[in-house]
Amino acid sequence: MLQVVNVSHAYGDIASLRHVSLEVEPGEIDCLLGPSGCGKTTLLRIIAGLETEYDGIVRINGEDIRATPAHKRGFGLMFQDFALFPHLSVAGNIAYGLKRRGLGRGEIRESVQSLLRRVGLNNLDERDVASLSGGQKQRVALARSLAPNPRLLMLDEPLGSLDAQLRDQLALELRRIIKDAGLSAIYVTHDHREAYAVADRIAVMDIGGVRQLDKPFQLYRQPASAYVARFLGLTNVYSAGDSRLERLLDQLGKGNLLNAAWILIHPAGISFGAGAAKDALELTATLEDAVFRGEHYQLTAVTGSELRLSFTARDLPSKIGDAIRVSVSPDAILPLPD
Amino acid sequence: MQRARCLRGILYFAPLAFLGVFYVYPLLSIFDVSLRPAGLLDLSSFVRLLSSDYYIGTLLFTIYQAALSTAVTLLLATPCAFALARYQFRGKTMLLSLATLPFVLPTVVVALAFATLLGANGLLNDALRTLFTLDYEPIQLERTLAMIIIAHVFYNFAVALRIITGYWSAVGFSVEEAARCLGADELALWREIRLPLLRPALLSAGVLVFIFSFTSFGVILILGGIRFATLEVQIYYQAVSMFNLPLAAALSLVQILSMLAMMIIYTSTQKRLQLAIASAKSVAKRARTLRERLGLGICAALISILLFAPLVALALRSVVVAGQLDFANYASLAEKSRGSLLFIAPLDAVFNSLRFALIAMTIALCLGLIASYMIEGRGPLSRIWDPLFMLPLATSAVTLGFGFIIALDEPPLNLRASWLIIPISHTLVALPFVIRSVLPSLRTIPRSLREAAQTLGATPVDSLLTIDLPLLGRGIAVGATFAFTVSMGEFGASLFVAQRESVTIPVVIYRLLGDPGMASYRQALAMSVVLMLVCACAFVVIERLRIAGVGEF
Repeated sequence: MLQVVNVSHAYGDIASLRHVSLEVEPGEIDCLLGPSGCGKTTLLRIIAGLETEYDGIVRINGEDIRATPAHKRGFGLMFQDFALFPHLSVAGNIAYGLKRRGLGRGEIRESVQSLLRRVGLNNLDERDVASLSGGQKQRVALARSLAPNPRLLMLDEPLGSLDAQLRDQLALELRRIIKDAGLSAIYVTHDHREAYAVADRIAVMDIGGVRQLDKPFQLYRQPASAYVARFLGLTNVYSAGDSRLERLLDQLGKGNLLNAAWILIHPAGISFGAGAAKDALELTATLEDAVFRGEHYQLTAVTGSELRLSFTARDLPSKIGDAIRVSVSPDAILPLPD
Repeated sequence: MQRARCLRGILYFAPLAFLGVFYVYPLLSIFDVSLRPAGLLDLSSFVRLLSSDYYIGTLLFTIYQAALSTAVTLLLATPCAFALARYQFRGKTMLLSLATLPFVLPTVVVALAFATLLGANGLLNDALRTLFTLDYEPIQLERTLAMIIIAHVFYNFAVALRIITGYWSAVGFSVEEAARCLGADELALWREIRLPLLRPALLSAGVLVFIFSFTSFGVILILGGIRFATLEVQIYYQAVSMFNLPLAAALSLVQILSMLAMMIIYTSTQKRLQLAIASAKSVAKRARTLRERLGLGICAALISILLFAPLVALALRSVVVAGQLDFANYASLAEKSRGSLLFIAPLDAVFNSLRFALIAMTIALCLGLIASYMIEGRGPLSRIWDPLFMLPLATSAVTLGFGFIIALDEPPLNLRASWLIIPISHTLVALPFVIRSVLPSLRTIPRSLREAAQTLGATPVDSLLTIDLPLLGRGIAVGATFAFTVSMGEFGASLFVAQRESVTIPVVIYRLLGDPGMASYRQALAMSVVLMLVCACAFVVIERLRIAGVGEF
C-alpha cells in the first residue's frame, strides 16, 4: 500500500535519514522502533508531506506522491505533542478535518459523537482542551486524526508524554481502535515493549536505515544483528572471538559458530537451576546482581569462565554472592552478523 | 507552490513599499535638503550650526535635560522597583499596571496637566494661597527646567519601574541573603550587591529614558517655550516659524544620527538583559516589620501621587469655573471661540481624530500583521526585518513630520494638501507598536498546529483563517488599541502635517493654548480631558488583553 524507496534526508549538512526503504501492507500496523535522533519522525513528516526536500520515492498504491501537498494526501498524523488547537473545544478539534472535507453539520455532529464513544470520551465534547488530562488529550488527538477516515494513520510517539502506568493500558487500546477502524498505520516509538504491544510488524531503525523488519515475536527471538539485539535489551552479546565463550560453545556442541561476528546468548534460553530442556547445559555461577521487577527478578550471574549472563527468574532462593546453578539451552545460542 | 510563493512576494512587498515611500524617502529628502539645499553639495548649514554657540547650546541643553531627567527617574524608580520586586502586597499588580498609564497619555495632555497642577495659577498654588492667605505664589515652577524634568519623570517613571522590577524579580534575592550572612549591612548591600547586580537593567532603562527625554517635544514646547528649546523644538521653529528649511534639515540630521547611536547602545543593553533573565524564578515576600511597611507605603504613595495628582488637577480645572461645578467648558467645544485662529470648532477635531485613528489603525494592523510574519519567517532575510520595521520608533516624530512636508509636497506624491497625510504619518508611528503586540502571540503558536491542520486537509489559507487568526486575536486587539491610542495622541508629526480643517485634538489643544483669552484656555482644558478619557479607556483595554508577562518593549 505505502512504499518508501531509498529515501534520504538532511537538515542542512546533517544527514537525518540515509537510504531508508519500507513497505506497509493494507490493514497492518507497522512500528518504527529506534533511538531518538535516528530519523523516525523525519520519515513520518516526509510521508505526511510536511518535509518536501528529500531524495528517493514515496508511493501510495503505486503512485508517486511527491507533488501532492500535505492537505491533499488524506493521511492522518498524530503529533508527539498532540498539537491540539487551543482555541477549539474537544468537539471542535475532532470536527476540524471533517469541516475541511465539506461535510454537513448533522453529519459532523454524528461523526464526532461516534468518535468520542470509540475513544472513550463520552460527554467531553464541549470541554476546553487545556483542561484535559494527558491521557484525555491523547484520545482527542487520536479521534481528531481518525475523523476524516485517513488512508494511512501515522502516530509519532503517541504515548511518549504519558506516565508508564497509563502507557501499557493505552497501547492496547490504541491497537484495538486502529484495528477496529481497519486502518493501515505507522507507529513511531523508542520503547520496544510498546512496539511489541501495538505492532503487527516492527522495523528497527538507526541513522543508516531499517536494520530489521519482522513480527514482534520473530524480532525478539531472532534479532538480525548485534545492534538490534542490544536495542531490544538483550545484553548477553559477545564478540565470537571471545575466549570466554569457547568452552560453553564446545560443551553445547556449537563450536562451529565461533566464526560468526557476534554470539547472543538469548535470556529466554537461560534458566535458574536445572533446565527444562533435556540437552541443556548446567553451569555453576556466582550471583552478581538481582533486581526485583515485580513479575520477575532480573538476574546477572558470572560463570567460572567469567561469562556474564543476564536472565530472569520467578523466585530468588539465593543471596547475592552465592554460587548458583544456571542451565543454558542450545537454542539460546544465536550467531549474529555485525 | 509557485502561486503561493508569488502571493507571498506581493504581500511582503506592501509593508516594504510603505516604509520605502513614507519613511526612507522623506528621510532621504531631509539629507538632500540639508546637504544640497540648492542642488549642489553645500555644507554651509552645518558650518553655521557648528560655529554658532546658540545651536551648540541647543544640543548641549538637549543632552543636559535628558541626562537630568534620566538621573531623577532612575533615582526615584530604583527604590520603588526594589519594593515591588521584593514584597508581595495587595494591589501590587494593579499598582504596577496603573503606573504604565502615562505610556499611553498624549504629551499635550500631560503638559497641560502639570501646568494646571504646578503652574502660577495652578491647583497647588491656589490651595496654598487660600490655606496660608499668601499674596504671592509659593510654587514658582512655570517655565522652569524643573517643571520639564518633573513631566519627564512622570512619563518615564513607569518605563524604568517595569524594566527594573522585572529584572530584579528575575534575579531574585538569594545573593543578597548570602551577602547578609557574610556580614554586609544595608549600605554595603546597595553599594556592593544590588546596584552592581542591577547594572544591565539600570543601563537599559537609563538609555531608554534618555532617548524618550532627548526626543521629547510636546512637553518642552508647552511647558518650556523657546527659552528651553531642545533640538526637537528647534527643528520645529526653524521649519515652521523661520522657514529656514536647510537649517531645520541639518538639525534633523543631527537628531537622526544621535538617535541611531542611542538605539545601537539600547539594543546592545537589551541583549545582556535577556541573558541574565534566562534562568530565574520570582521570589516576593510579605512586608512584616514597621520599617518595611513604612517603606512600602511611601513607595505606593509616591507612585500614586506622581500618577494621579496632575490628572486630577486637569480634570478638576476643566469642570470647576469660578469655584462652581460647571460643564460650560465642554458645552463650548461645539463652537469656535471668538478670536481663535482655528478653522473649525474643537468638537470637529474630535471627529477628525477618531476618523484618522481608525484609518491609521486599519492600515497599521494590515501592514503590522504581514510584517510580523516576515519577522517570524525563517527566510534568509528575516533577521533584517525586525530592526528595519522598528526604525520609525527610533526616529523622532518631528523629524518624520518635517520629512513629510519637504518630501511629499510635489508630484508624483503631492499629499501636502490631503488629509490622508495625517493617518499615514500616524501609521508609521503606530506600526512598531502593532508588530511588538502581535509578535509575542505569533511566537506562541507552535508549528505543529499548522501542520496538524494541514494533515487534516486545511490549505495554507484555511490554516491562516482557522488557526492563526483566532490564536492571534488578543495580540491583534492589543496592537489595534495601541495603534488607535498612538494616533489619537500623536503630536509632533501632526503639528507639521495637519492643516486648517483637518487638525487633530492634540494640535487643536496646542493652538487653543496659543490663543489669547480664557475661553480658549478653558476649551483646551476640556479637550484635554476628553483626550485623556479616550486614552485611559484604551489603556484599560490593553491591560486587560495583554497576555500576562508578555510585553515586548
